[in-house]
Amino acid sequence: MKKDNQKRRMRRSLVLLCFLLSVLYGAGQGGSPATRKITGTVLSATDKKPVAGASVVLKGATTGVQTDEKGQFAINAKDRDILVISSIGYVSGEMTVGRRSVLEVMLQEYSSTLDQVVIGYGHAPRKDITGSIASVSGEEIRKTQPVTVDQALQGKVAGVVIQQVSGQPGGGVSVQIRGLSSFNNNPPMYVIDGVIIGGAAIDGTGTNPLSSINPSEVASIDILKDASATAIYGSQATNGVVIITTKRGKVGAPTVTYDGYYGRQKLPHTYSVMNLRDYAGFMNDKSTIIGYDFRPQFANPQYLGAGTNWQKALFRAAPMQNHSVTVSGGDARTQYLLSGTYFSQDGIAQGSDFKRTSIRLNLDNKTTDWLKVGTSLQLANVTENVNATGSNVINTALTQTPEVNVKNPDGSWGGNDPNIYGAYALNPFAMANIVKNLKKRYQLFGNIYAEVAFTRDLSLRNEASGSFDFGTEDQFTPTYVMGPIINTVNSATYQSAQNFYTTVRNYLTYNHYFTKGISLNALLGHEAQVSTYSNNSSSRKNFPSNNVQAINSGDATTATNNGDKQQSAQESYFGRVFVGYHDKYLLTVNLRDDGSSKFAPGRRWVTTWSGALAWRVSNEAFLKDFTAVNDLKLRVGYGLTNNQNIGNYTYGATLTTIATGLSGYSQLTSNLPNASVKWETTKSFNIGLDGTLLRKKITFSVDYYDRTTDGLLLSVPLPLYSGTIPNTGYSPGALAAPNENVGSVRNHGFDLSIASTNVETKNFSWRTNLTVSHNINKILSLNSGNDALYGYIGNVIAAKTVVGRSIGEFWGYQTDGIFQSASDFKSHPAIPANTTTGVLLPITPGTGGIWLGDVMFRDRNKDGVINEKDQTYLGSPLPSFQFGFNNTFTYRNFDLTVFFTANTGNKVLDQLNINGQDPNQNFGYFKSVTNYTRIAMIDPAGSTTDVNNFMVTNPGTKITRISQSSGNDNTRISDRYVEDGSFIRCKNLTLGYSFSPKLIAKARLSALHIYANVNNPFIITKYSGMDPEVGSYNPLLVGVDNGFYPQPRVYTVGLNLTFNK
Amino acid sequence: MKLFNKIFSAATGIVLLFCSCQKNFLERPPLAQITVDNFYKSNADLRLATAALYGGSPWFDWQYFPILGIGDVLSGNILQPYNSNLVQLTTFSITPGNEYIANTWRCMYKVIAQTNTVIKAITTRAADSISIASKNAALGESRFIRATAYFHLAQLWGAVPIIEDNTKLIGSPLLPRNITTDVYKFIIGDLAFAVKSLPASDAPGRLTTWAAQGMLAKVYLTRAGLGQNGSRNASDLDSARYFAGNVCNNSGLSLLPSYYNLFRTQYNDNPESLFALQWAPGVGYGIGNGLQAQFASSNVLVPGGGFGGAIGPTADLYFLYTTQDSIRRKATFMLKGDHYPELNAAGGGFTETGDANIKKHIVGTPQDNNAPTTDLWNSVEHNAVLRLGDVYLLYVEAIMGNNATTTDGQALLYFNKIRTRAGVDPVTEIADTTLAKERRIELAFEGQYWFDLVRLSYYNPQSAVDQLNKQQRVGFAYNNGVAAPYVQNLTITPATPATFTMPLPATEVTADPLLSQPPVAYYK
Repeated sequence: MKKDNQKRRMRRSLVLLCFLLSVLYGAGQGGSPATRKITGTVLSATDKKPVAGASVVLKGATTGVQTDEKGQFAINAKDRDILVISSIGYVSGEMTVGRRSVLEVMLQEYSSTLDQVVIGYGHAPRKDITGSIASVSGEEIRKTQPVTVDQALQGKVAGVVIQQVSGQPGGGVSVQIRGLSSFNNNPPMYVIDGVIIGGAAIDGTGTNPLSSINPSEVASIDILKDASATAIYGSQATNGVVIITTKRGKVGAPTVTYDGYYGRQKLPHTYSVMNLRDYAGFMNDKSTIIGYDFRPQFANPQYLGAGTNWQKALFRAAPMQNHSVTVSGGDARTQYLLSGTYFSQDGIAQGSDFKRTSIRLNLDNKTTDWLKVGTSLQLANVTENVNATGSNVINTALTQTPEVNVKNPDGSWGGNDPNIYGAYALNPFAMANIVKNLKKRYQLFGNIYAEVAFTRDLSLRNEASGSFDFGTEDQFTPTYVMGPIINTVNSATYQSAQNFYTTVRNYLTYNHYFTKGISLNALLGHEAQVSTYSNNSSSRKNFPSNNVQAINSGDATTATNNGDKQQSAQESYFGRVFVGYHDKYLLTVNLRDDGSSKFAPGRRWVTTWSGALAWRVSNEAFLKDFTAVNDLKLRVGYGLTNNQNIGNYTYGATLTTIATGLSGYSQLTSNLPNASVKWETTKSFNIGLDGTLLRKKITFSVDYYDRTTDGLLLSVPLPLYSGTIPNTGYSPGALAAPNENVGSVRNHGFDLSIASTNVETKNFSWRTNLTVSHNINKILSLNSGNDALYGYIGNVIAAKTVVGRSIGEFWGYQTDGIFQSASDFKSHPAIPANTTTGVLLPITPGTGGIWLGDVMFRDRNKDGVINEKDQTYLGSPLPSFQFGFNNTFTYRNFDLTVFFTANTGNKVLDQLNINGQDPNQNFGYFKSVTNYTRIAMIDPAGSTTDVNNFMVTNPGTKITRISQSSGNDNTRISDRYVEDGSFIRCKNLTLGYSFSPKLIAKARLSALHIYANVNNPFIITKYSGMDPEVGSYNPLLVGVDNGFYPQPRVYTVGLNLTFNK
Repeated sequence: MKLFNKIFSAATGIVLLFCSCQKNFLERPPLAQITVDNFYKSNADLRLATAALYGGSPWFDWQYFPILGIGDVLSGNILQPYNSNLVQLTTFSITPGNEYIANTWRCMYKVIAQTNTVIKAITTRAADSISIASKNAALGESRFIRATAYFHLAQLWGAVPIIEDNTKLIGSPLLPRNITTDVYKFIIGDLAFAVKSLPASDAPGRLTTWAAQGMLAKVYLTRAGLGQNGSRNASDLDSARYFAGNVCNNSGLSLLPSYYNLFRTQYNDNPESLFALQWAPGVGYGIGNGLQAQFASSNVLVPGGGFGGAIGPTADLYFLYTTQDSIRRKATFMLKGDHYPELNAAGGGFTETGDANIKKHIVGTPQDNNAPTTDLWNSVEHNAVLRLGDVYLLYVEAIMGNNATTTDGQALLYFNKIRTRAGVDPVTEIADTTLAKERRIELAFEGQYWFDLVRLSYYNPQSAVDQLNKQQRVGFAYNNGVAAPYVQNLTITPATPATFTMPLPATEVTADPLLSQPPVAYYK
């Protein structure tokens, strides 16, 4: 409390800063009459080739000229005029005319190592950076045609692990920077043109809040990885910061660009499942063994057809397309960029699609010589059909059996035979097509700023920014008949929600070069953030027709409604000092104080700090003559950052109004509060080396880091008897689990990225870009009284987190195959016992016993019984190494890009095998189940209960016996379901052609590039499921494949073209 | 001029900054929910808090399947032959991974967590302006419901961890099991408090002292056999007799005249109902009563649901009913040709076309129940956990005590009230076997029979085991009034005394290794 007061005083006494909205105006001045003709050539600094279509403008003027295909221009100017030369893809340059009349201008190309790096509340030349920051240029991103920004980063940046949570159009991606350092789902902080991106108003399985940003509008992405870089962002930045900067207008004549592509997506791989003949044969065997469920129609399997393959029915080749038009330009006073994008993608699964329309306006205006104002605005509309395609759509396709038709000959939907035992599954194809689940989002990301220059060195920037997300969700379930499943009541739910995230920030920047070779850059600022969320939903039933779906058409007596409102706030003070000495020694110090409403009074404020030193070795005299080294910089940084990623008001308990049959409504306690929960803190150390070698043919960056996070925040999974449920699970009526600071974890490892130009001739070049990341994750302590934390699939434990091991290692039983003969019971005498009484289960074909065809679990502790003490670690889902390898070849006007990503050392738990390979469930079966363990008597006249009289007729099978009542729990989590998830994936293959400027000049085009592209053309992996890349929002349970919507293979053709005038 | 402009713009900024930074900028309490800090201010608040414990989401996991899965499938009243988790119950091959066993465990502890939270809030936070009697009444309701949950746990697992304050699990979550006798002692403590604190009458559906006395009688009667051999503890029998007799003779309550109407929603919370789960309509999956969806034989009865076409009574149960006992039979299960005019009344009633299916808990369409917001997952039936008819029979059992028969006047009076209402002839002498059979028929499909067997198994395990092992646990074909049991296809492991103790859920044993160790005393 004392600290809070102190902060308030500090706030009052703070130098208060200003904010002004000004009317934009941009009246330019014409050229002066006393001018002469200047001619010149604009060349690319990298390859000395002429730059066609570059604009050349007198500084302060509104109009200018353009270079021709030889890069030449002619303009009237005076000696004292300054020429501003700009072109798309190049850093703008300025040049004073002087007395020359023929000029040569070199433009620097934007490249993967951008010259300017966005560092948070400002930017700095890359050469001055002391922290670990990786950058990806917009050009690079456009090469892989990603649908969303986070997909664009996949494999591009060392130390950043991006995994698909859903391959659904626009679907979610989990992003970790430098390992799992947090137990709660903790994505990095995203800042787009100064706007901190809050969550979407309505999100659900597989919906991605970043999906409304068009990757082709991105100018650069900077990823702040270590504490010395992130500390300035304070509490939200512990897991790294992704700063996305969109393109802005440049001085020059209007440039119009069009980017478009069309693609088709396909499911790359399907599970091998039983066809109808296999199924009929299997069901005949099964009914013989279990004694019921015999189906006369299966009497002669050989006469049956193949039946329905639900994967084929549910998946399709689906189109996607993107069209984007950008107009940009400006004069010395005002620069503008206006772009509009339309993107549409049909999902490869029926009933899923994604459409995005967005408009962006970026404006900068130099109002007076001391005031600059501007805005970045994005309006986006996203419409998604997420019907029946949650993250486990494959699972849905595997639940139905092959004897069910998609549609019956009479046009009705296929369904199960009503006269059989077993599950009544829905018709997944029908459900995907007739049920409506439409999500719409309207998003406004906006940032307006005013920058006041008090002196040449001192300036003040005021910003107001917000992410405003309005969402609706429109659901309708019609009446239907699918065999025995009849829905006679149609129903609709309509939900609307708003999520606003607003920030006001003001900061002073002081920039000065002292004559003694000392440069100083200092920053001091304040920031206040408020986030509010509200939603309401209404439902009705009994609509007069399935075609009338508006909520007001339903039966008013069935109406129900619901709603929620939430808020949180954060306030911060921050400062940064950067000192450079002779361009050799560089020092950065950050300090930030954050207060968060998520903690109890007295625990709200926390300090974040960091410091970093860099030494530009290459600027030392002893390396001056060493021409092989163009640039070499050693960086060392250390800092402490804090994290507050828990729900609002978990330090207190809330009550929820629920309906009861007793008094109409009642108040049920929602959570188990923990008032002592506090900030999670991370101390991190980073040492890195950046270099440019061999006439800039090789650039590299290598970092070693060591991060220790203490007071890990977690909604703790306690035993079931606690009556609580962590926020990753479902258990009706449970108290939300308390948030606790449960322990500490260390992540250490290295990131390496090397870019090299391997061959460079007049007509041919070959460049490669390699990233390698290695991370070791280890729990150092758990202090909540738990020996371990568990990852649950429903009620079943599948992963365990303990001190000394990495987060979320799979946990279960080792197996030694299947009991195949009586002798196996002698060599493997241990069998399960009743957990309460300890009595060993009998060896019997009867119920509750163990028999041939059951799984041999390994008795690890040799105590003669299989019980929970025999469980062990079955591998880690975290990859130890991750690679990205990109090759770009150019030959004359052709370019070819081949991009690979790879993971090694991680395990995947294929949850689909638990059901798909179980002969005793009632849904669809994998083909492998036809080889279930077949048991026969050795002497048909002999004992029917003595195991010595039985044998397995298909030894070597991995599928268990058919038995409704084995006591062995064959499907318990075991190494049978855990597989090697290592892979090498060819992520992208692109062949492009750039037309020569001469050829296209007639069509008034300055650039035309066409390409054909294949995404995910192939993958090399031992994993038997669809896709070993499975992400998760629950760190205690990662790498579980429950039928993820896999990443499709996409064939694309596209073009980029640029007009000038 | 320039300077003036700069100062002006800075001043504008100051104003805006003040707007964003009010004094309590970081004080952000929930906007849509009540917090514990501003609740428990009046008796009305306490009533709202305890109302949430009577049903809804905390009870969902039990109601969803186990109530009949354990109460009637495991005990041999119902056959459900395909759901492998339920097949394990039918065949006595329950594995520690059985989902319904884990859900039962989880459910009872959720009820305990919610009741503990309310009890703690009332004792530590309730406003002083609320009368002691009101506070005690609310505590009585909460402690009754907590005792009911522990009673389920004790009967199924014996020794289980006792938790009184869930906040103590923060920081020290791993608990040992507590010995069975202490669990019973804890239950009796809660119920004894409820007996004293609850009023003699209250709004329909609310607990009264009579409910607490009836439940306490049942707990004493159960504990009377615990650890005994052949006979039961006389003191506990006396206590059971005292409390059950009090309810029978002094509560002023009487049986609902029609047995059939007991299970119709129009008669929810009738005077015979002592404690019934209070389900609400229109609340969605996970909060409501899903029994109809799972157990009804046809989606004509439950739009969108009715997955119980293959579920029905066992032949063993069917043959217990005499021809005369048709009222209870028709209220419990449907036989081919039975017509129920009030089910799907708008469609002309419902006629059973299968051989035999469940009737009890099948209450029909939303229109039949005048509950338009209901869907398949929220039947509005308030199913009784304890009803007066049950207490009558408990009273008879307590009077009979350690004898094999009784002709006691009180026993005959209440026993024959049950029989007369059912339309069957009264008796002049009651044997323990006729009492057991009467309870099984009267309370069939109410989740009771398994617990009757557990009560017997405490002091006479062989008798309980024999009852299970001689059962015909099969379905039957029913044509022209003749039932033909199916050939037994499921291999049923013979029950043993160990059958009466459920395996601890595999997940819990993994999460808390202390559960595998011998239980410890709770009361030092």
